[in-house]
Amino acid sequence: MSFDLNFIGILIGAIMASSVPLILAASGELITERSGVLNLGVEGMMIIGAISGFALMVITDNLFLAVIGSMISGLIISIIFGVLTQSLLTNHVATGLALTIFGIGMSAMIGKNFVGIPGKEFPLLFVNFKENIPFLGPILFGHSIILYFAFLLPFLTNYFLKKTKIGLIIRAVGDSPTSASNQGINVTLVRYSCILYGGAMCGLAGAYLSLIYTPQWIENMTGGRGWIALALVVFATWSPIKVLIGALIFGGITILQLHMQAVGLRIPVQLLSALPYIMTIIVLVVISRDSRKIKLNTPTSLGQIFYKEK
Amino acid sequence: MNTKLRVSEISKIYPGCVANDEISLEFGSGKIYALLGENGAGKSTLVKILSGVVRPDKGEVFLNDKSIKLNSPLDAKKNNIGMVFQHFNLFETLSVFENLSIDSDKKNEDLRLSVNNILKKYNFKIDLDIPVLNLSAGQKQKVEIIRCLIRNPKVLIMDEPTSVLTEQETEDLFVSLKQFSDDGILIIYITHKLKEVLSLCDEVAVMRKGKVVSVSKTKEEKIETLANKMVGENLSTIKKKINNFKYSEEILKISNLNFRSDDPYETNLINLNFSLKKGECLGIAGISGNGQSELFQILSGEIITDYTSIKFRDKEISKLNPRERREYLMAFSPEDRISQAAVPELKIYENVALNNFKSSNFFEKGLVNEKKIKEHSKKILSNFSVNTDNVEMKSQFLSGGNLQKLIIGRELITSPELLVCFNPTWGLDVGAINYIHETLININEQGKSSILISTDNDELLKLSDRICVIYKGKLSKIMYVNEVTPEKLGILMGGGSID
Repeated sequence: MSFDLNFIGILIGAIMASSVPLILAASGELITERSGVLNLGVEGMMIIGAISGFALMVITDNLFLAVIGSMISGLIISIIFGVLTQSLLTNHVATGLALTIFGIGMSAMIGKNFVGIPGKEFPLLFVNFKENIPFLGPILFGHSIILYFAFLLPFLTNYFLKKTKIGLIIRAVGDSPTSASNQGINVTLVRYSCILYGGAMCGLAGAYLSLIYTPQWIENMTGGRGWIALALVVFATWSPIKVLIGALIFGGITILQLHMQAVGLRIPVQLLSALPYIMTIIVLVVISRDSRKIKLNTPTSLGQIFYKEK
Repeated sequence: MNTKLRVSEISKIYPGCVANDEISLEFGSGKIYALLGENGAGKSTLVKILSGVVRPDKGEVFLNDKSIKLNSPLDAKKNNIGMVFQHFNLFETLSVFENLSIDSDKKNEDLRLSVNNILKKYNFKIDLDIPVLNLSAGQKQKVEIIRCLIRNPKVLIMDEPTSVLTEQETEDLFVSLKQFSDDGILIIYITHKLKEVLSLCDEVAVMRKGKVVSVSKTKEEKIETLANKMVGENLSTIKKKINNFKYSEEILKISNLNFRSDDPYETNLINLNFSLKKGECLGIAGISGNGQSELFQILSGEIITDYTSIKFRDKEISKLNPRERREYLMAFSPEDRISQAAVPELKIYENVALNNFKSSNFFEKGLVNEKKIKEHSKKILSNFSVNTDNVEMKSQFLSGGNLQKLIIGRELITSPELLVCFNPTWGLDVGAINYIHETLININEQGKSSILISTDNDELLKLSDRICVIYKGKLSKIMYVNEVTPEKLGILMGGGSID
């Protein structure tokens, strides 16, 4: 029995690990969207973060620099988006799509020389506890610091948006940039900051993939996780806690259906592979049914271009 | 606390339009000043300059004889100038308190305390912890006012504050404004409503085409004198000739009109029967929300009801949709210009094409014949003196008056036998109102009929031949206009009975 319980613990630990990139990227995008900016470049920023983190690790042999570097490169590529949409007033959707295409191509180009290089072991915390405590051990311990950060992040984000002045200002800008501007808030600055923060978090999500989750560089290794993160934000109706729930469900069913495939259930593989997407959407739609709350959480100005009257 | 505000030679030029031309004005505390002008006279530009939203090309603003720079809304706040815009600057999804705290430097507890003091002092009743989108327009405006009051303003500017308010809310607002004025706040009140100027303000500055044309005490003014200053010409107050009903032909007959709705915000209509003669204008009075919009939609065919009989020139049309009714030469001008009558994002000529499917030469084999539509639109623009000849312009850039002229023109250019209009002059300035009234009188004189559903009694008494009142979905008896007095209408509108 204790073996079984421990196995479930390990399974849950694996589910948590697989949902980390989604939580990080979605939490970053959530802040961006709350300020009224729709950045569809999540996938592109993530993969840039993945390759730059891996490349820096190979070059400097320093994991700390690699992680910081991935965040900075996610941030830099999001500046492109910021300049285009906020200063040159281009359309958010088109610019975001372009950013993703750019990121995927760029990462493939940089990544050519890094294919097949083995990754470095990322330090895990509290490994002793993991092995010595049955069930809870593999759930709570033996993870990288980024995982702990990722699981804290939705709560921090929630607190930040609801309780702090800056959070209030971000929500206000997302609600009505014109009103905010008339109140003396620098809308462009707020939106730039949120875009950059979103970029940094996507970069970190990418680094988690290439440094910890599957420590190597594979072309296109984000595999659509950026799009899932985007969808999570919308289906979680811009609530950070629901993003966490959604990411866990998605990660959970992804892992479970792999096991089901391995066991050889007589369900078509294609259906099993589609299961995470279907279930996540169903659950999030069901838990977000309160139309009043949706209205309160939805950034009214999402995707709208703002310019100041002179 | 004595406050003096002076603007000196302010100019602001937009491409193709001088919004403010060397404006100089002086204001002192303890009084309520009206800034009066038609839409587009430059009032809003001036107050945007005073609140730091727009920078003037030239000129200075002095507060207590000191020149102040107003480069941003923050500067206006720093100088204790508060501003309540016509379109609220609130964050709908945030709570009232969050809206107030966003630009306050105070701690939350201190802010709550001072907000509660303001609520108590001026007898405002607002729940601070519900989202703004749940408030009525009047309450939203109070939130805006409180936001200004927190900063102990020396100057409070109100831009067309009553355009969204009910009558009761307007009265409450006036009481509050007088209180603020007694507390030493200088109040500048921007409006195009003449009655409000006379009942609320001490002094009035009239603006026209970007210039100040007159400054005077309101005691010395009358509605007519102010109206003439505003429009810049002597308004010919047209009067309708008494209708001697020379045509006996009955053009429209409604019998057994009943309407039941499950929507609690709609009014049920109960057993309406009336008829309309050729060349007649039937006025339907009433306080808004008593079934007017349901009646309009049934007449226009937006709502089809069972068992109702609508006979138009002896044809049963009760089951026809609006397009089919137009083909029988009925025309409709709905209440809401922006969302019902026109599509603001479309160009003028596209809006013209929208309800003229009948005109077969507009569309050929499913393709739009732009040239024909544009010619037709140009004709409407010139025949109905819309203030532009550019049919390519998006309709949203037309002022309310010009948009209404376009809509009425679009309807009338096909020479319909019956025009049904609902609050055709709501929110318009004097010049436009006058024009529309003239137009409506003209069509009756040409032997065309009209139904005028309106909440404006002066308008009804001026234009109608017969009047009735709608109250809670029921119609009063129909009276000839010479038997009707405003008092009688008032009694019927409140649900009372006469004779």
